[in-house]
Amino acid sequence: MSDQLLRVEGLKKHFAFTKGILFSRTLGHVKAVDDVSFDIKAGETLGLVGESGCGKTTTSRMILNLEEPTEGRILLEDEPISGLQGDALKAYRAKVQAVFQDPWSSLNPRMKVGRTIAESLIVNGWGDKEKIAGRVRELLLQVGLRPEQAEQYPHEFSGGQRQRVALAAALASRPKLIVLDEPVSALDVSIRAQMMNLLKDIQAQDNVAYLLVAHDLATVRHMADHTVVMYLGKIVEKAPTEQLFADVRHPYTKALFSAVLVAWPGRSEEEIELRGEVPSPLNPPAGCHFHTRCPYVMPRCSQQEPALREVSPGHAVACHLFDNA
Amino acid sequence: MSDTPPGDTVLEVRDLHTHFFLRRGVVKAVDGVSFSLKRGEVLGLVGESGCGKSLTALSLMRLLPKGGARTIKGEVLLGGENILQHTPAEMREIRGRRISMVLQDPQTSLNPVFSVGDQLREAIERRRKGASLSEIMKEAVAALRRVEIAAPEQRIGQYPHQMSGGMKQRVVGAIAISGEPEVLIADEPTTALDVTIQLQYLKLLKRLQAENGMAILFITHDFGVVGRMCDRVAVMYAGRIVECGPVKQIFEAPQHPYTRALIASVPKMTGPAGRLTTIEGQPPSLMDLPVGCRFASRCALVEQRCLDAYPRSVRVGDAHTADCWKVSPP
Repeated sequence: MSDQLLRVEGLKKHFAFTKGILFSRTLGHVKAVDDVSFDIKAGETLGLVGESGCGKTTTSRMILNLEEPTEGRILLEDEPISGLQGDALKAYRAKVQAVFQDPWSSLNPRMKVGRTIAESLIVNGWGDKEKIAGRVRELLLQVGLRPEQAEQYPHEFSGGQRQRVALAAALASRPKLIVLDEPVSALDVSIRAQMMNLLKDIQAQDNVAYLLVAHDLATVRHMADHTVVMYLGKIVEKAPTEQLFADVRHPYTKALFSAVLVAWPGRSEEEIELRGEVPSPLNPPAGCHFHTRCPYVMPRCSQQEPALREVSPGHAVACHLFDNA
Repeated sequence: MSDTPPGDTVLEVRDLHTHFFLRRGVVKAVDGVSFSLKRGEVLGLVGESGCGKSLTALSLMRLLPKGGARTIKGEVLLGGENILQHTPAEMREIRGRRISMVLQDPQTSLNPVFSVGDQLREAIERRRKGASLSEIMKEAVAALRRVEIAAPEQRIGQYPHQMSGGMKQRVVGAIAISGEPEVLIADEPTTALDVTIQLQYLKLLKRLQAENGMAILFITHDFGVVGRMCDRVAVMYAGRIVECGPVKQIFEAPQHPYTRALIASVPKMTGPAGRLTTIEGQPPSLMDLPVGCRFASRCALVEQRCLDAYPRSVRVGDAHTADCWKVSPP
């Protein structure tokens, strides 16, 4: 067995774009995710970064087995996850959990939070009532809430506390991997820091791996061991986080970095302002998808699609600027 | 264009109180806010959700939400006139002409069943009464060009759903500045936009401001945006401004413990990527505010006098004030 917890190989997801209801015809395909590969080691965090529509959420939905890939495979502990059914699927769901962005819509308002947290334990027949109640108390303490809060309803909690409840529910089945889809972007600054610290503490205690889907680079920098940058369904750059932040290579990643508004005024760094907007994924530009907005565009960029290749150990970039590197 | 010379105060807010009168009690959402805005200046109003920053903006526009919200005290002086005394008809003349507003979500600011051109026309017509339709449409195209929308002649006939989020927010901006207001209130205008689009939009706002010298009240929770956009910044906590000063001073030497903790808790792009500083606890309930400092329950430096009385405002530097008992004048 390899030391990789999760392997994603050549993952593609194409959505058909149709017209008409009775005699519908396919007009084209939206390549939401187009040939994406990466690994996550046990107990590590992988950050998945990009702007809206880059395919990061579709990728995470396929990993959660909520969406069937068009092509490619996903392996958890060397076992392919496609076609899992019945008990095998239940077992998979116990190992791979999720925390979503909006703590207002991810909790059932009519359910006491203790029951929400216990849900996955009950479904999996984890133990009797007493045992489950004990585990719920333990989970509430672990996420920094009080055990008696199990008897409260979601509306009695603040946004940050709700996100803690969502995390406790995800942790209940002792998962190996938690998909964190923008876990802190709906939270206020001071609460955000509490949540990020909590996530790191829990990872250190339980050795759980995270797939962190985020658009905020500073959050990724504080949380992730490795970072993958996506643009229009493709990976444009991937590297160990520290190395990526020290040495950004791809022009899109550079633009993304310079768009981060460095809080401290008076810092004038090289700034790339991208003209225009992300092209429609229905009809992405030929060649490199980024060439329409790239400040370093060359003739071959519009003809040939750049391959993702290593520029230094562990650091891969998909850009013609590095063809001869 | 405004007639006030640069550097003159265009808007002054004094001791503004806007409360919600509910059956359960009184929510003191804005409770003694004062600040001033000079021509050509960008003042950032930062704070966390529920601190009262958006309600402050709505109080200035006199567009309070239905259901018990009332401004009970204070003055809002626009060019020396207290607009809180104006009749609704007088306010309609001021909105869009002298004070405009851009909101967070461009999706809900535009009417989905009218074309972009129609919505711009409505704003321009009010200012240019009696102008012919072709003149007004020419001006509408020019307004779209000013906010850097490509091919404005084609775009003008389109509907909001045919545009991306960034483009819609530009249209909202075009409508807001079409009356050439003296004051623009921007309430989290880029929160719904992607980062590369956010940068484009902020730069556009800066360019437009340089052209016509309007003053901007920029409401945000993002210190990155403050650093990029603002000249001065006011930090709000539980209904009051606790610290106000030039951006550089606030970033480099924040005085109020809340400002200090808030800045320290922001994840950084440089420096050590270790544990973040956090502010423990929650802000106080606005229905049951303490008599003393509102930050006292979460403050590391708290002492008896902080609980006994609300701190006086201390002048700590040039145009820099902080409401804290532990801060002493230089």
